[in-house]
Amino acid sequence: MSNSIYATLSRQDGLLKELQVVANNIANTNTTGYKTDRAIFAEYLVSTGDQTPSLSMGALAGHTFDLTQGTVKFTGGQFDLAIQGEGFFALQTPAGERLTRAGAFQLSATGELITPDGANVLDSGNTPIQIPPEAASISIAGDGSISADGELLGQIGVFRANGQLQRDTDTRFTAEGGTEAIENANVLQGAVEQSNVSPVLEMARMIKVQRAYEAGQNVLEQEHQRSTQYISTVGNR
Amino acid sequence: MKSLQIAATGMAAQQMRVDVISNNIANMSTAAYRPRVAEFSDLVYQQYLTPGTITSQLGTVVPAGIQVGTGVKASTVSVEITQGSMRQSGGELDLAIDGNGFFEVQLPDGETVFTRDGKLNRSQDGQIVTMDGYPLADGITIPDDANRISISRDGQVTAYFDNTETGQSIGVISLVSFVNEKGLEAVGDNLFRLTEASGDANRQVAGTNGLGTIRQGFIEDSSVDVVKEISDLIEAQRGYELNSKVITASDEMLAATTRLR
Repeated sequence: MSNSIYATLSRQDGLLKELQVVANNIANTNTTGYKTDRAIFAEYLVSTGDQTPSLSMGALAGHTFDLTQGTVKFTGGQFDLAIQGEGFFALQTPAGERLTRAGAFQLSATGELITPDGANVLDSGNTPIQIPPEAASISIAGDGSISADGELLGQIGVFRANGQLQRDTDTRFTAEGGTEAIENANVLQGAVEQSNVSPVLEMARMIKVQRAYEAGQNVLEQEHQRSTQYISTVGNR
Repeated sequence: MKSLQIAATGMAAQQMRVDVISNNIANMSTAAYRPRVAEFSDLVYQQYLTPGTITSQLGTVVPAGIQVGTGVKASTVSVEITQGSMRQSGGELDLAIDGNGFFEVQLPDGETVFTRDGKLNRSQDGQIVTMDGYPLADGITIPDDANRISISRDGQVTAYFDNTETGQSIGVISLVSFVNEKGLEAVGDNLFRLTEASGDANRQVAGTNGLGTIRQGFIEDSSVDVVKEISDLIEAQRGYELNSKVITASDEMLAATTRLR
């Protein structure tokens, strides 16, 4: 079979996956703390025999995410926190420690600071945060210090990931190489970080993917016609 | 064609957001109503190539891997803990809570529920009841011959009579607080029910232990900010449209595939 068909097919398969990435970004335009996904394509060479040059194919090679700051939206919630600049909140989940920038937290029935699905938020010493239930006002300062009615309780942990980050569900990340606390973090109370998906960019990418896919289909179509013509010409001899 | 399903989860999420917003706008004049807000989170990632997979005997690994997301889901619809503005009504039994706390209400079946809606009335036998006729759990009965009732900021109820100048204390309206107010279950009629997540009801005198004070003659307005709701509505509608465009694009790509033969 023709090599051009194989090369195009590898491209088409990659484009379908890229559309999936775009669709996921657009679906998460209003997800608190969501970071835009990016697909990376790379060329790879396939050997086609001793006498012929090898064939170059394109395929999805990697995946990255855009960690730029999302828009900070003011909500006024006492336990709505946004990180400005670098860092993540650390969560204690049944599956292990996770990092997140989605800071819409609340209190558990026993006064621990938790996420809406019940994972504990950790302080700078990696322990769960306990808020006294009788406290009338809780304030969280720029450096993450929590105080209840003027009394210092602790500090919300803001961590930097060592090594690669891997995506997990619920806008969380796993740090492969562990985490370290950031000294001069900037935490904002009464606000949450919105998704950093840019709808305009995603729409443009979607159009690009769609057109490239159609172009690929045209190549396949023409290749099909060319081989049909070749067979009928050669067959008539 | 997973992008079709992914876009469908996006449309469902925006639809839910519109539902929540429309309920907020519908309750813009409901006494002591607190707006709800829908929060979303991403779904599981499909691992085509796990980061850290070894690629050679030298120990080199895949740096980023290929993880493709599968859409969005609603993670929570939580109540925003906000104070509504105080509207002066002059009613003797119109009570507003300035700060934290709830009134405790006794349902006919004996269950206690909680409300911040302090539009109270006097029942035929003198009890202080809600608009639906459920008595406050404090069990205060106003004497028939009382001509005026005064309720202090800490909830002391005093009745005044025609023939005496000094009033007579007839009970205390106390307030209830919860560790996690967002964990209360809304049951309609401005009432909330205790759950595992909210923690136990903590009954205290108003103005102590972080509780708010009681203001007689005021009603707490709904704290829905209509401008914010409308801007959220616009955002949700555009988000819905964006997701529908992904469906169109996926559909056209599928059509291009089927045109091949």
